[in-house]
Amino acid sequence: MIEPTPEPAPSPETARGRMHPLAILVFARKRIGQSIIPIAVVVLTWRGGLAVPVLLLFATAGLALLVAEWRRFTYRIENGRLVVERGVFRHTTRVVPLDRIRGVDLQAPWLHRALGLVQVEVEAAAGGASAAELTLAAVTAAEGERLRHVLLSQRREASEPDLDAPPARVLYRATPRLLVAGGLTSGRHILAPLAVLAVVLNFADDLPGAIGERILGSAADRAPTDVLGIAVLVAAVVLVALVLAAAGSLVTDWDFELRDEGDRVLAQRGLLTRRSVAIDRARVRGLDLLDSPLRRPFGLVGVRAIAGGIQGRSGRATLAPVISRGDAHMLVRTLDPFADPEAPLEPHPRAARTRRFVRALSLPVALVAVALALQWWWATAALLVLVAAAVPLARDRYLQLGHLFDGRRLTVRSGSLQRRQASLDSGAVVSYLVRQSPMQARVGLCSVVLRLGQGAGSRRVLDCSEEQASSLLASLDPALLGPFVSPTAATTGTPH
Amino acid sequence: MILRDPALQLDPRVQRLWALEWGFGALVCAAVTAAVAVPPALTDEGTAALVIATVGGAVALSVAILAVVQPRLQYRRFRYEITDLGLYVARGRLFRHWQVVPHARVQTVDTKRGPLERAFGLVSVAVSTASASGGTDIPGLDPRVADSLVEELARRAGIDEGT
Repeated sequence: MIEPTPEPAPSPETARGRMHPLAILVFARKRIGQSIIPIAVVVLTWRGGLAVPVLLLFATAGLALLVAEWRRFTYRIENGRLVVERGVFRHTTRVVPLDRIRGVDLQAPWLHRALGLVQVEVEAAAGGASAAELTLAAVTAAEGERLRHVLLSQRREASEPDLDAPPARVLYRATPRLLVAGGLTSGRHILAPLAVLAVVLNFADDLPGAIGERILGSAADRAPTDVLGIAVLVAAVVLVALVLAAAGSLVTDWDFELRDEGDRVLAQRGLLTRRSVAIDRARVRGLDLLDSPLRRPFGLVGVRAIAGGIQGRSGRATLAPVISRGDAHMLVRTLDPFADPEAPLEPHPRAARTRRFVRALSLPVALVAVALALQWWWATAALLVLVAAAVPLARDRYLQLGHLFDGRRLTVRSGSLQRRQASLDSGAVVSYLVRQSPMQARVGLCSVVLRLGQGAGSRRVLDCSEEQASSLLASLDPALLGPFVSPTAATTGTPH
Repeated sequence: MILRDPALQLDPRVQRLWALEWGFGALVCAAVTAAVAVPPALTDEGTAALVIATVGGAVALSVAILAVVQPRLQYRRFRYEITDLGLYVARGRLFRHWQVVPHARVQTVDTKRGPLERAFGLVSVAVSTASASGGTDIPGLDPRVADSLVEELARRAGIDEGT
């Protein structure tokens, strides 16, 4: 970490870039992570005077290798392609055409941030759904921004950032208060501490001398048995879980900021590791509004982009992790002037309601029957509670079903625990699919699936009537689908 | 009825191909059943062997029945059609599918010939789109029909042929 940073060369077309030396540390961490067990075995089992010199020798050799790896790692942009060369013993060259690049993310873990560096993750389409990733472990923040600009300005001539562009407009900024509210009402943040607890317990199981069991045992001995004590304990656990949920939300989404930068929107977030994701507007196929029963009473929603190439990892398409409903509608209208998030949707037929009930109740009712047959009274009671909970859930799932096509945007809503209202650009559909199961056919329902392509997934109009499906398809693309919608069948519904 | 049926059917020979595939499946089921049921029968665990043989035999028998019934129904339900703007495929008997892929969204058009298909002199055509699951297959075509289909699809999708 003594060498000066190589300056980004003046001519971006041909110059070979090299990463900042901090990359050596990133490489080292990755390599040590891969070989931690052999290293530990050697260190723990080695007896005798040679141990220290031999280890030093290995460490020196390893460091030399990492430095060589860093020196051999070069990247350049030429003829509309990103070329990355690497490898000490086996030299590899990777060529990615720029029009294949779907996204460029900049990430700054704390050490990178302290040194003004970023990690660049380039995601490229690699045939079908799989995406190949290319990571530049450490470059200066300015170089990262420049790379993002050049790599994402696909077919245009690579140019320096446009200085005449109007200043970026902030579309959304998360206040700490919003984030706390978001964390407290988010299933993900509430459940995250449980996952950590499970890992800790699992680890404690493996500790020698049954330390974990002894701690648990003594904790169980001291656990209160009176009603007041149990109430206090439960309250304390709930309080800790809520505090952790709020903290989790604050850490991941701290100072979340969504900026409008002309052809793309830029989302930045994070307290410790600062992430910045650019979403190309041309790749946005639609917008999702997401909420849950916990959030609905507070009028809070999340906004996500339906976009190619950025669905791979969680949270990358997030435009606003938590936002008040009114602001969310405004945000949606700003991003997509044709979208109308408040338009009343067309409800689905009553048969869909029956189907929601059947699907929600069949499993718990069957389990109740099994528990009764086995005379497990406690399980029966618990399962009956589950059945009681499934009734309002099924009812709400039906009420949330709906769709609307206004000539430009298709709005589809479904789900209750995880409700999603998607507004899609009807021009972005890659293929249309109508599905009908025997159960659906019996009551005249079907589902229409619209596939969006390039990793943007698909959206589904669940359990609409056959007439709704026909008229929806005919209006989505009259020239393509009109000839397939038989007019006589659509109006009279002749049975076959 | 949601959408009308497409106009074209597959080559009728595909029914025999499918019947052979299902029959092969039934044989595999029977062989696995025999392999699992024989050791307990030899070691005097008669009931266990009987249970395994009954369950496995029932599965093998139902697959064999499907081998007789399924191909004809599947053939009758599988239809396709090419229009100026897209490819339309309808399939399925119990679980029905109607799929429309616009030509403008087609990325590749491939022909595939498995060993069995080659024995029957049939070809399947696979159409892929930018969406991993958005493509579709048309199995069991006469080679001449398949060639003209591939050519037409490729022409309309604007793909150079010969790849």
